[in-house]
Amino acid sequence: MAALSNLKQCPPFSTLPDLALRHNHIPELERYPQINLNHELLAHPAGQRFYGGQSFVPVDEGVLKRITRTFFDGGFWESLEEARSPKSREQAPLIAQAGDLIAQILGLATGLRLKILPHTQELSAERIAQFVETRDWLNSDVRFLAWNWHFFSLAVAGVDDVVRIYFKNSSAATATVLKSPSQTQITCMSWRPLCSAEIVIGCRQGLCFWEVDSSLHLGRTNAPSKVFKHPANLPITSLQWNKDGTQLATASIGDRSIIIWQPDNGMMQPLKRLGPPGSLLKWSPENDWLFAATVDRVFRVWNCNQQWTTERWVCGPGGHVQTACWSPCGRFLLFVSSAEPIIYRLQFVQQSLLSSSADEKEILPIADLNACSIDANRTLIGGPAQQLAWDPHGNYLVVTFKSTNCIAVFRTFIQKFDLQISAAYYLSGETATEHPSFICFQPLYKDNDRSVLTIAWSSGRIQYYAFD
Amino acid sequence: MSTSSSSNACKLLLLGRCLRAVLLSVAIQFLLLTVFLLSVNFTLLHPLEWVTGTLRLVASWYTWFASIPLVASVVLYGVSLCQQHLSERPYCPTRYRWLLHYGPRKLLFLGAHLLVGLLTAWLYTGYLHTDYQHLRYKCYAKECVSAYHVYLLGMGIAAGCYYFVSVHMRQEISIEFPVVDQSRAEKLRELLYGSFSRSLVRSLLPTLSYTLAFWLFGPLMCRKLSAILFVEVDERLEGFFGVATNLRLLFYGYLLTAQILSNMHLMRCFYGILLSEDLPLVVTKQRAAFAHEQEITMVAGLGVFNVYVVQCLAAHYFYKLALRKDSTQRAEIFQLTEPGNRPANWRSLCDQCLSILGSFTEELTESMQKISVLKGAQSLPMPKISEPVSASLMAEKLLLRQYNQMHGIRPIVPPKKEDAVDRAADGIRYMPNWCERVSTQLEQALQRLIQRVPGIVYLFNEPEGSKTTFLLANSLPVVYMTQALAQICVASLKEDPYGVVQNDLPAIIKAINKLRNELDKLSSVIGNIKAPSSSFYVLRCAVRRSLYAICNSFCDYLGDILPPGEELRQLQDLVCQ
Repeated sequence: MAALSNLKQCPPFSTLPDLALRHNHIPELERYPQINLNHELLAHPAGQRFYGGQSFVPVDEGVLKRITRTFFDGGFWESLEEARSPKSREQAPLIAQAGDLIAQILGLATGLRLKILPHTQELSAERIAQFVETRDWLNSDVRFLAWNWHFFSLAVAGVDDVVRIYFKNSSAATATVLKSPSQTQITCMSWRPLCSAEIVIGCRQGLCFWEVDSSLHLGRTNAPSKVFKHPANLPITSLQWNKDGTQLATASIGDRSIIIWQPDNGMMQPLKRLGPPGSLLKWSPENDWLFAATVDRVFRVWNCNQQWTTERWVCGPGGHVQTACWSPCGRFLLFVSSAEPIIYRLQFVQQSLLSSSADEKEILPIADLNACSIDANRTLIGGPAQQLAWDPHGNYLVVTFKSTNCIAVFRTFIQKFDLQISAAYYLSGETATEHPSFICFQPLYKDNDRSVLTIAWSSGRIQYYAFD
Repeated sequence: MSTSSSSNACKLLLLGRCLRAVLLSVAIQFLLLTVFLLSVNFTLLHPLEWVTGTLRLVASWYTWFASIPLVASVVLYGVSLCQQHLSERPYCPTRYRWLLHYGPRKLLFLGAHLLVGLLTAWLYTGYLHTDYQHLRYKCYAKECVSAYHVYLLGMGIAAGCYYFVSVHMRQEISIEFPVVDQSRAEKLRELLYGSFSRSLVRSLLPTLSYTLAFWLFGPLMCRKLSAILFVEVDERLEGFFGVATNLRLLFYGYLLTAQILSNMHLMRCFYGILLSEDLPLVVTKQRAAFAHEQEITMVAGLGVFNVYVVQCLAAHYFYKLALRKDSTQRAEIFQLTEPGNRPANWRSLCDQCLSILGSFTEELTESMQKISVLKGAQSLPMPKISEPVSASLMAEKLLLRQYNQMHGIRPIVPPKKEDAVDRAADGIRYMPNWCERVSTQLEQALQRLIQRVPGIVYLFNEPEGSKTTFLLANSLPVVYMTQALAQICVASLKEDPYGVVQNDLPAIIKAINKLRNELDKLSSVIGNIKAPSSSFYVLRCAVRRSLYAICNSFCDYLGDILPPGEELRQLQDLVCQ
């Protein structure tokens, strides 16, 4: 472990001796949209949104009628809750007692089922938050960021279930807004490659496809162009397009299969394997491999070119793969387990001509992320990692952490058969309590070939940081 | 290799696959029989005996001999499926022509369905209790017709008929490429699991419907049969309760329906799986003397117009090849011939693709001219531009006109007649004589009279948009080919050392853009015609993505590739939003 790169020698960005490294501000960044989602949420809080039922006055109903109505409105479980509510208990104690009995029997059955199949527990928002890459997903103002692959357009998903789309020089007032009742608890999203303006949003209801065009400004389109539900009505927790935009891979933390969709003709095919449900998907840049993490220690790498065969791996004890990223060349995969503060490397390159492709792969630790103090105030950096992001040129790796608030920047040097990594410096927020919620790199465009890191801070502020 | 010889070679290859599919279908009958016997002979207390007894029964001589008729019917079914896959698909403009061309084939196929259903029921009843086993049975020392047996045989026929009506009657058989290309064993495993579980749900409705029909007409049928066979009538299934309370019979019927439906589904999917496997195509033909004579090139495969499956397979092969980075076959496309240094591979491929794309677009344009809504929209005068307006406003106005036209909303101001068209230049008009006038009027009256005869219009008129529907339903090769061509163009930026692609870029971009424009026009009326919307969206998205991929890669050179004009502006708009 001593040979591993670690964070102890990590200087703060502001004290870097090399001035060339500190020139992160380029004039181009001034044209980027200035976003602070917190201000927008305060201006248009979700509570102000109009829902049809708000303007109606509740009426007094009999217990049975109320339970029946609740059954048709919200289903069996809600009607059972209604039967056991204090109001029903007061009006009809017998019905409430019967409800208690049913609830007890069902509770026993559910407990038994969870003992046998622990992964079938109800997918609450807390459970989703446990497996997504966004830090404090439940309360974070920004839940996801997605850059368009071909031109300047940034989609920002907020805690209010609204996706705002910003273009160059645009402001909060001119942002295109995508909101729909069929789009709540957004966990992931991605622009479709080789399409100018199609975005897919993964949420509790499934997948919402939007065509972002000028008519959205006029408020004409207020519904997604397509909505696909998961076959088992589960929330989508991770999604990735393939490079030509024909296939969409999705995973849900309630489902053991990865689903590959062909959205144009509405076809889908589950890739079934025994084991825990999937949590995270990462397609390699050339789509040769598909990395699929699960909610348990197991993760798989699918070989998309060889009849979708799969290799199964198991990570350290008591954790799951928290985050992963591919090198831009597609030869290396880095990942971090939720239990260990260590970055692991999986290499996808044949080192010798005679060895077969399957047995040569091995997982190697390459960086130690154990927390350490970085200044006199005992500010900590490191610990279990939250998210990894590799810049499109392959020169920098950025790491955010679950419990510390600084962002570590590693310098990477990719060779044909090897990868070298060393801690470079760290970035911090405007205040000591501000932590990064989500990070991602802007893709390289024709008019801009600099790597720009986009950081969504817990305060709702979005910062752009240009690398050399 | 000429087109006919490549067509024959491909057909031979596919025939081999069909043969394998028939063998698989035959083999699956025994698996299904085992599943059926395991279900009906289930004993909880003697599991070992249950399994061994069932397997012994399946492997018995009786089974081998009794299953011969079913196997023969399965072969007939397979031959019929094979014929539909490999035969030519001409366009039939009217329903009469469709009946003439497809009617006998569909009838034969229906017959195969009924036969498979009947013989499956007959074979399976042979393993049941004696009450269900034979058509005649002894009741109170008399010979009677077994209503149970009649019920189950009828259930077999009804299940076959149901499957034909719900799956094959209206739709043409076509192959579907799987979303992900898994191994054959994995595909078969998934198919088996999926079919069994789905057919259990799917067979509920036909079982209940047939049972209801049997309650109404079953006694009548049994009486007729007893009269024919000179035996007594079985009264066990008379009345509603007689049928509804016989749970064992209902269970057998349900199980039988599920088996027949999954059997037919499996047979159809075996063909789909085996036929959609890659054809052994090549980009360049070997010139060496020992080279295999039957080698088929990708271009030749694309040119087999009379076998739709072959064209689809060639286009799919091209698509997969174009996506594969660092593949030697993709590199072969850009290579020059030796001797001669000519880009023969690219030339033939590009010419073939452009010819297919061009003819498809032309046919689509021609077919769209017959759609009244589009025709109406085209005949409407363009909105006059009195002041400089944006292109989006113009598009808005046109869309509004199309919408009005579609919903029969007439314009407030009637369109002015173009004087120049009506009036001859010199003011002299041709006046037909009375004889001609009367003959024309008579002809028109006769036409009107004939059209009033019920069924004439239905049978002999071409339904609106039927050609467009036909083209869209058969557009899979165009979908794959367009995307592959775009990928090759994009790859040529880095991989084409001799620049063989660049000369053809303008033609390729123009061809794809022309198709895109036609599809954009069609998008406004696609809901009005009976075209398969999924085929349309697949084609439209593929064409748009392909064009975007090329224009995005060659964004900086678009001005050099295309002459200045509307097309260039459109494409620049597409990329630089």
